[in-house]
Amino acid sequence: MSDVTYDVIIIGAGPAGLGAALYTSRDRLKTLVLEKFQPGGQIINTDRIENYPGIEQIDGPGLIERMQKQGESFGAEIKTGCEVTNLEKLKDGSIAVYCDGDKFSARVVILAPGSGYRNLGIPGEEEFRGAGVSYCGTCDAPFFKGKQVVAVGGGNTAVEETLHLAKFADKVTMIHRRDEFRAAKVLVEELLKKVNEPNSNLIIKYSTVATAIKGEGKVQSVKLKNVKTGQEEDYPCSGVFIFIGMVPNTDFLKDFVELTDRGFIKCDCAYLRTNVPGVFVAGDCRIGAAMQLATAVADGVIAAMMLKQYFRDKKWWNEPVSDLLQPGGW
Amino acid sequence: MEEGKLINVGDADFESQVLKSDVPVLVDFWAPWCGPCHMAAPVLEKIAQQYKGRLKVCKLNVDEARRTAIDHGIMSIPTLNIFKGGEIVDQIIGVTPGYESDVKKKIEPHLQESAG
Repeated sequence: MSDVTYDVIIIGAGPAGLGAALYTSRDRLKTLVLEKFQPGGQIINTDRIENYPGIEQIDGPGLIERMQKQGESFGAEIKTGCEVTNLEKLKDGSIAVYCDGDKFSARVVILAPGSGYRNLGIPGEEEFRGAGVSYCGTCDAPFFKGKQVVAVGGGNTAVEETLHLAKFADKVTMIHRRDEFRAAKVLVEELLKKVNEPNSNLIIKYSTVATAIKGEGKVQSVKLKNVKTGQEEDYPCSGVFIFIGMVPNTDFLKDFVELTDRGFIKCDCAYLRTNVPGVFVAGDCRIGAAMQLATAVADGVIAAMMLKQYFRDKKWWNEPVSDLLQPGGW
Repeated sequence: MEEGKLINVGDADFESQVLKSDVPVLVDFWAPWCGPCHMAAPVLEKIAQQYKGRLKVCKLNVDEARRTAIDHGIMSIPTLNIFKGGEIVDQIIGVTPGYESDVKKKIEPHLQESAG
């Protein structure tokens, strides 16, 4: 077992983790980023990012590649294929991170494990996973050429992914439980424009939820319910794409930091301190996360700035959020 | 085969490499357009290395090896199928939060005790 010591260990190489790594490495802090897959996180699934200030348009993999290279150019070390299984606060105040037989330790840890797809939790969903049920439009749309699919959701990702599906499937029915979309207005406008085209292959059913997915061997229909009228129908389709938000990837942390009932990491939301001194949080996995690319990056940067205050004065960890904290004071 | 490395398979050599393999085979059905497929690559490389001699790990590009992908009813990628004696014995669809551990849990019951 190797045992290497760092100033900062960042868990997760998505936008939050890479944002933090850029700042800590520029501060010449010995920085290790542990990533269980390749760098990227959820943003890797987005083929068109238009809401990151200063960049008119880029795809997720392209942006992540830049972020990774930028961090590495200042000395951040990124280890991929490294799944953290356990963390431990040591007697000297440092934190040990265990990852597949290796032990790394650091003065500070930034938790940025991100989030994964939320399930609907309806009958048939698990059974037909890979047999018509999917959570990734960019991955699986090409398998539904010439077929009818249903897309569930109403946020930014749901709208983007539904528009992508409409390029492949014969017919796409988007169902949304409310009568109005939460997604950014420009995306909603694009969606409605597509819906209103002559002979459009895209239709929207508002105030509608899916209550069951049915079929034999593969998806053949989805049971829909109008939440206003209570009316139900069996709606024929070959695919059900589920885009209803994210759940935090924090299962491995439940014995280490305080989580909410839904698995989000508790923190002060200003300095991003968790209940464990020396352990910060950044990105989608924290309470109050806006689940956006720009806010994930911002979180990483905040944690990277605030950890200097902790290095300076360990007692700061338990102090309330204050307006006296000035960069000059660091 | 080169032990411990990922092997690319297609329609032509699927039978010889996978169905007629002496050791169990983990086949990754993937495509270049699929973000999670790329993300999972380091995990598969690591598994190929750790189980070398006892497990073969293959990658199948569904865009190129369409016939095999259709024959196996692939509708979501990445899909990992575990083959033993030419039969599918288990499957993992998508990347799960604990992917590496989840994949290992599915593989291990199908492996012979190490000869070494």
